[in-house]
Amino acid sequence: MTPVIETRRLSKRYRGVTALSDCTITVPEGRIAALIGPNGAGKTTLLRLLSGLAKPGSGEVAVLGGTPRQDPAFLADVGFLAQDIPLYRRFTAADHIAIGGHLNPRWDAASARQRLTSLGIPLGQAVGTLSGGQRAQVALALTLAKRPRVLLLDEPVAALDPLARRQFLAILAEAVARGGLTVVLSSHLVTDLERTCDHLILLASSRVQLCGDIDTVLAEHQVLVGPRKDTTAIEKAHTLVQATHTPRQATLLIRRNGPVIDPAFQATDVGLEELVLAYMGQDATIPALGHLTAAGDDQ
Amino acid sequence: MTWLAWRQHRTHAIVGAAALAALAVLLLITGLQMASQYHSAIAACTAAHRCGNLASTLFLGSHAVGFLVIMTLGVPALLGVFWGAPLVAQELETGTSQFAWMQTITRKHWLTVKAGWILLAAAAWAGAVSALVTWWSGPDNALQLDAFKPGRFDITGIVPVGYALFATALGIAAGAVTRRTVPALAVTLAGFIAARFMITELVRPHYMTAITTTGTSPQVPPGSWQLAQGMIGPGGKVLPTDGSTCTSGCVPHGYRAFITYQPASRYWAFQGIETALFVVLAAALIAVTAIVVLRRDA
Amino acid sequence: MISFRVDGRSVVPPYLQIVQQVRQALRMGVLEVGDKLPTVREVVAATAINPNTVLKAYRDLERDGLVEPRAGHGTFVLRRPPGPPPGTHSRLGRSLARWVREARGAGLDDESIESLLRVTLQAADEEETA
Repeated sequence: MTPVIETRRLSKRYRGVTALSDCTITVPEGRIAALIGPNGAGKTTLLRLLSGLAKPGSGEVAVLGGTPRQDPAFLADVGFLAQDIPLYRRFTAADHIAIGGHLNPRWDAASARQRLTSLGIPLGQAVGTLSGGQRAQVALALTLAKRPRVLLLDEPVAALDPLARRQFLAILAEAVARGGLTVVLSSHLVTDLERTCDHLILLASSRVQLCGDIDTVLAEHQVLVGPRKDTTAIEKAHTLVQATHTPRQATLLIRRNGPVIDPAFQATDVGLEELVLAYMGQDATIPALGHLTAAGDDQ
Repeated sequence: MTWLAWRQHRTHAIVGAAALAALAVLLLITGLQMASQYHSAIAACTAAHRCGNLASTLFLGSHAVGFLVIMTLGVPALLGVFWGAPLVAQELETGTSQFAWMQTITRKHWLTVKAGWILLAAAAWAGAVSALVTWWSGPDNALQLDAFKPGRFDITGIVPVGYALFATALGIAAGAVTRRTVPALAVTLAGFIAARFMITELVRPHYMTAITTTGTSPQVPPGSWQLAQGMIGPGGKVLPTDGSTCTSGCVPHGYRAFITYQPASRYWAFQGIETALFVVLAAALIAVTAIVVLRRDA
Repeated sequence: MISFRVDGRSVVPPYLQIVQQVRQALRMGVLEVGDKLPTVREVVAATAINPNTVLKAYRDLERDGLVEPRAGHGTFVLRRPPGPPPGTHSRLGRSLARWVREARGAGLDDESIESLLRVTLQAADEEETA
């Protein structure tokens, strides 16, 4: 089955700054993929390249088997929700639903109205006067009413309170449960994503650090805790992601290449948040917590 | 998309229609008054065989309305600034362009419909104002014979339509390039004024080769546009004044008076050429807009 | 109708939480044979968890023979997990609550109680195998 989203060595520069470098990812059909990374890692750039709003500097990108392009067939199948939720502020939600009906051949106005009324969002009020959470729900309802096959969302829940976040993700997951929809959403909030997402794309320093099924990725990583000693054997056999040393103890987060055979170390599973932090912190050194070092650095 | 464009610019259309209606009422009332005023004056002076001085003794209409009519020079600039500049710029600024471009319409369709309707509306609006002003100016032009003069030429006939298209296109292009409404406004205003000034002063006189007539007391056909006058001597030396620099008169030194002018019969040809010029500029600006909007990253 | 609670902070994976909650509901009598489980969409809309998680849980239950899907109608309870009848749980729960009150009254903290329970379970296992 061809993946719904595929990129190969995708790169993009803006005014001399590298936004995205050598990115190769795949997202299979029916997944809810979490695009995680620190600010400036390239999340928005990647989503804009997937949606066709921006063009690649180099490399290839394929969505639903074709290049993102200005073409009604493509535009009908791909939805995009930008970070600042751009809507026509003076128009009401009902206006927006009418606009969608005029601009899209496949348009499920009834589902949009039903979703918004069930959330208690007024359809006759100017969208600019709604709260952030309500605007996000309006934008989501509009994007879903288009019945796209791929939905790209840029930090859709960043500015929402916990209840609004939960409601947003619930509606999104339900739309995927209906079938025929693949979602990529970017965020900083790992705990929300862990609940709703089953696929992970981790960006840091404009590069893809991890891309795969979340359960598989977590199973591939382990935390080894043991006495401070020479760890080069482990580091050679497996990929070291992060090492934390005290004078007496070594804590290694590794990506396993096969089983770990070292009785001195106790192995535990890694949670998603811990894993994400480890990869994101690879270049950064955290000051004042004197004993923490980045991968590859030994004190 | 037409429906969306209408909803977005409904207020502009309503305000424009209201302003046009108000102007129409004002000009119709005063225009009819001026026409009857003129015809009575003509009838009176013809009977007394004293129509020669009419132009300097009769003042038609009121100063206020006359001033307002001259102010219609600014109509294209207003259209460019209020209708043209925000068209693309505001959507780029607020991000609603991203919303629109991810619906099932191409950027090309979006731009064509929005720009198409606004240009049409601007041309129609300016055309209506020009028609009213041209009709209103009828008696005054017959009296003063100054339709060809800059200032009058620019507010009558078909050139206002060309100016309006140019100003609106300039606004749209400025908005597309700067991506922000306020800079677009500034560029549109400055650009329009500069273009109009330069073309009127430097290009318009040369649409067709001017005619120069010389003699002791040269005459030009009534209603012509005088470009230059003075004294021309042997060898082509020109004294711009009426010969007051010559101490004992210039004629004995071989100087003759001259007037360079464009005859009144060329009025419509000039209207046509200038309109075409501005329409071509407008088209070029729209082409720039299309390239910027369609090719650039959103 | 059962409603699920998925705790994101628990060490138990979400799909397993659902499996456990269905089993528990069957033991307690909240769910009976022939009842319809909530659809995947209903669960997802209520909990915001991934649809595949729910599918995985329902497949697990199907594999254990507790539920069966009927095409076009939903997933239905087939039988109860082996175990004591529903009343037993509540009866034992009540006597346990009495014991806990006594233990706490005697000065045991929760950790000691848990530790005592573990030791007792282990001893009981050894007794059975002996």
